[in-house]
Amino acid sequence: MRKSFLDFGRVNAEKLLHNRLNILIFILSTLTLLLIGRLYFLQVISLDHFDTLSETNRIKYIQTAPRRGIIYDRNNIVLADNSSLYSIEINIKEANNIEKIINAIKEQINISKEEIENFYKKKSKYSHHNSIVLKSNLTDSEIAKVLSIRYKFDGLDVTASLMRKYPYEEITSHVIGNVGYIDKVDLSKIDKKKYKSIKYVGKTGIEKSYEDTLFGSPGYKHVEINARGRQIRNIDEKPSVPGKDIHLTIDIDLQKYMYSKLLGYSGSSIAMNPNNGEILGMVSMPSINPNDILWRSYDSYKEIEKLNSPMFNRSINGLYSPGSTIKPLVALNAIHEKVVNLETEIYAGPFFQLPNSSRRFRDWKPEGHGVVNLQKSIVQSCDVYFYMLADNLGIKKLGSFFESFSFGEKTGIDMPFESKGVLPSEEWKLKNIGYKWTDGDTVITGIGQGYFLTTPLQLVYAASILANEGSIVIPKLNKNLDIKKSKKIIDREKFLKNEIKKEWWNAINEAMFKVVNQENGTAFWTTKNKRNNISGKTGTVQVYSLSQENDERENENLPKHLKDHSLYIGFAPKDNPQVVVATIVENVGSGSKFAAPFSNEIIDYYLNKIRERN
Amino acid sequence: MNSEKFFGITDNTLFICIVFLSFFGLVLLYSATNQNIDVVFRQGSRLIFCFVLMFLISLVDINKIKSISPYVYLLCLLMLIITLLWGHDVKGAKRWIVFFGFSFQVSEILKIILPMTLAWYLSLSEDKEIDLKKLIISFSIIFAPILFVIKQPDLGTSLIILLCGVITIFLGGITKKHIIYLLTLFSFAIPIMWKFILLPYQKQRIMTLFDPNLDPLGSGYHIIQSKIAVGSGGFFGKGFLNGTQSQLEFLPERGTDFIFAVFAEEFGFIGALILFLIYLMIILRCLHITYKAKNYFSKIFAGSISSILILLVITNIAMAVGLLPVVGVTLPLISLGGSSLLSIFIAFGIMFSINRRI
Repeated sequence: MRKSFLDFGRVNAEKLLHNRLNILIFILSTLTLLLIGRLYFLQVISLDHFDTLSETNRIKYIQTAPRRGIIYDRNNIVLADNSSLYSIEINIKEANNIEKIINAIKEQINISKEEIENFYKKKSKYSHHNSIVLKSNLTDSEIAKVLSIRYKFDGLDVTASLMRKYPYEEITSHVIGNVGYIDKVDLSKIDKKKYKSIKYVGKTGIEKSYEDTLFGSPGYKHVEINARGRQIRNIDEKPSVPGKDIHLTIDIDLQKYMYSKLLGYSGSSIAMNPNNGEILGMVSMPSINPNDILWRSYDSYKEIEKLNSPMFNRSINGLYSPGSTIKPLVALNAIHEKVVNLETEIYAGPFFQLPNSSRRFRDWKPEGHGVVNLQKSIVQSCDVYFYMLADNLGIKKLGSFFESFSFGEKTGIDMPFESKGVLPSEEWKLKNIGYKWTDGDTVITGIGQGYFLTTPLQLVYAASILANEGSIVIPKLNKNLDIKKSKKIIDREKFLKNEIKKEWWNAINEAMFKVVNQENGTAFWTTKNKRNNISGKTGTVQVYSLSQENDERENENLPKHLKDHSLYIGFAPKDNPQVVVATIVENVGSGSKFAAPFSNEIIDYYLNKIRERN
Repeated sequence: MNSEKFFGITDNTLFICIVFLSFFGLVLLYSATNQNIDVVFRQGSRLIFCFVLMFLISLVDINKIKSISPYVYLLCLLMLIITLLWGHDVKGAKRWIVFFGFSFQVSEILKIILPMTLAWYLSLSEDKEIDLKKLIISFSIIFAPILFVIKQPDLGTSLIILLCGVITIFLGGITKKHIIYLLTLFSFAIPIMWKFILLPYQKQRIMTLFDPNLDPLGSGYHIIQSKIAVGSGGFFGKGFLNGTQSQLEFLPERGTDFIFAVFAEEFGFIGALILFLIYLMIILRCLHITYKAKNYFSKIFAGSISSILILLVITNIAMAVGLLPVVGVTLPLISLGGSSLLSIFIAFGIMFSINRRI
C-alpha cells in the first residue's frame, strides 16, 4: 500500500505548503493583473465616455408612485377612488429665488394669500420633500398659463398626482377613513424609501388598516438629466405595481339608509350579519365630507373638531353605558348561576333598597311592575328585578360573564384605534377611581349603568351572540378577510354553547321577540309591519342623575346635553337571524322613542331588500 | 533580530505600510462622507483601539495563540447564535450584535478565525497526510459557522468565508485525489441543490447576486454609479475632494463597499497603481514571514492570511469596477467599519507574533 499515510513527514508537509502557496499566489497575481487591465480600460481608454456621463449628463433616480387600490362596497360600487390632481410645485433646492417665482405666477393666475402662507408653512414642516405644493387643483387654463412661464425658472413645475376621492362623502367617511399628508408621526412608522414619491398616507378607517394592501409598490426611472435638472431621456424604467383593491362588506344602499335615519342626531348605528361577522352598514354621526378635509393642515382639524366632533368615530370609539340593552345577558347569567329559574316570580315595587341603606334604586316606572318573572322583566324592562339579580350575583360573576361577550376588550374588527370600553370590577374601580367598590355599584351595573362603558360595536357583537345562541363571529369590513378565532374566543364559545342551555337562550330570545311583538313590550309601537319577526331590547341611559326625592322621570325640559341617550339592540328574523343592529342616539330621550324605531326600520329595509332581490 | 522593538513590532516595513494605509483611509473617508468630520473621528478612535489590540496580540507567544484557537472558534459560533437570536436588524438582515454600545459583525471576524482554527486542526497531526476523516472534520469546521451566516441572510459573506477556509485547506496539503473528488462532487451537487433543495426565494437571492439587473433598484444602480466614478477619474484623477460622483452623492455606500470608487475618481489610474504597490509591499512582507516561519501552524496561518488579503483586495476592487457582483466585501485597512478593521488588525498582530519566533 501507500506509505504516505504513515510517515508523510514534516519536511514534506512544509515543502507541499510552499508549493501550494506558490500556485495560489500565481493565480491571485494573474487576477490582480487582469484587474489593473480593467482599471486601465475604464480610466484611460474609456475616459471620454465616462467623463461625459459624469460631467454633462447625470443619472437621476426617480421613483414613480403606484396607483392606490380602489375600495368597493359588497356589490362592487366604488367607495374610494383616485382622480388626477394638477398642482404647481416649487423645488426649493433647485429654485434660486422663490419669491420671484411666486410673483411671476401671480401675474398669470390667481393665488390667494392663504395659499402662499401655507406654502411657507409646509416648506418648514415637510422638510424631507424638496418639492412643495404652491397651488393644487388647477384648471386647464391655469395649467397652460403656468406652463408658459415654466422655462424661465428652475425648480418650477406643474405635476400631476393622484388624489383620493370619496364619492359618498359624509355617508362613508368614518368607515373608509381618509388619507392625508404624511406628517412627522407617520414618518417614524412608514418605510421612507417606499413613500419618496407619495405625499399622503392612510390616516383613519380602512384607508389606515389596509394601507399596505392599498399602497402597492413604487416603480422607478433612471433618467439622464442635464446640469439644470431637466430630464433628457429615460435610461431604464420599472413600472410601479398598483395597490390591491379592497371589497368591503358594506352595502352602500343600507349605509345610505342608516345615514338618513340618523341625520341631524349624534350617535352611531351598526348593522352586521350574525352568520359571518360582515359589517353591512356602520355610521357615526355627525359626519364630515372627507374630500374637504383631505388636503387641509392640522390647524383646520382643530376648527372642525369644534362642530360636535364629526371626525370622532363613535361606532368604535364612542363609550356609552349599555343601559337596559345589557339585561338579556344579566338574565342569562342569573339562570346559569341558579339565582332564578325561568319560572321564578318576584314582586317588583317602585324601587329597590340594599339592607342597611336608605338609598332608593328607582324603577323607570314610578308605580313599579308588580309580580314579574324573568321573561316579563325583559319585555317590560323592569329595573327592580335586575337590581335584585345583580345584587344576588355580585360583581365578580357578572363581570366574568360579560367578559365572555368581549366587553372591556377590542372585538378585533379590521379597523385601527378601536376602543376597549370599561368592564367594571373591584380592581378597576380602586385603580381608576380610587375608591372601594360598593354593593350599590353592583346594583346599577345590573341595568347597565354606572362605570360600565361599551362601544356601539361591542353592543352589536354581544347582540350577535344572543342571535346566534352562543356562536361567536368576529366583525369584519374586508370581505376577503379570513379571520381565525383565537383560542380565547373558541373557549368562550364552548362555554356559551355548553354551559348555557339551549332552552335558556330560547327563553331570552323569546322575551326579546316579545319586546317588539307583544303589546306591552317596550318596542311594540316602533314597527307596524311585523312580517320580519324582529327581536330586540331597548335601553335608556341617564346622563343626568335625578335626585332621590324627585320621581319625575320625564326630562323634556332638561337642556339637550343632559337628556338621556337612546339605545337599542335588535336582530331578525327570529328563527334564522340575517342581520343584527345596534343603535345609539345621544341626548334625545328613551330607547323606545328613537334608537328602537330607527333600528327596526333599518332591519326592515335590509330584509326587504334581500327579499326583493331573491 | 531588531533589538529596538516597539512592543512586538517585528517587521518595520510591514508596520509602516499598515500605519500609512489606515491613516490614508481616514483621509479618504473625509472625502467619501462629504467632509463629515464626526464619522472620521469615530473611525479614528476605532483605529486607535485596533492598534492597541494589535500591539498586545503581537506580544503573545504564537504557541499560546495556537492553543486558544479552538476556544476562540467556539466563542465565534456562540456569538453567531446570539446574532441570529437577538441580532440588530438592518435592512431585513440580522448581521450585527451590540456589545456595550458597540455594534459588531461576527461574520467579518470569521475571515480570520476560520483559517486560524483550521491551521490549528491541521497542525495537530502535521506529519501525516490529510486522510478522508481529517478532510471531513475540516469541512465541518468551515460549514458550521457558514450555516449561521447564510441564515442571517448574508450569502455574499458566506461565499467569501468559504473561500477563506478552502484556501487554508489547500495550503494545508489536501491531496490531489481529494481535490479531484471535491471538484467532481461540487459540479454534481450544484444542479441537484438548485433543483431540489433551494426554495424559490433563495434561488432568487442567488440569481440577484450574479445578475444585478434583476434588482436594479439596489445593486444595479450602485454599479452604474460606481463605474462612472472610476471611469471619469482618468489617469491623474479629479483631485482630493473634487470627485463629482461622490461629492454629489450619486455614489452609494461610499464609505464601505465603494470606497475604492471614491479613491479612483479622485486619484485616478496612477493613484490606483500606487495603492496596488503598497498592498504588494504588505503582501510581500507577509509572504516573507510565511516562508521563514518555524512551525507548521504559523506557516499555514501566515500563508492563508497572505492569500486572503489579496483575495479581499481584488474582490472589493472588482466589485467597484463592475467585474463581480456586490457581495459586501470591504477594502482592507481603508473601508469604514469596525468589525472588518478589527479582524485585519488581529491578523497582523498574529503575523508579528509569528515573526518574533523566527
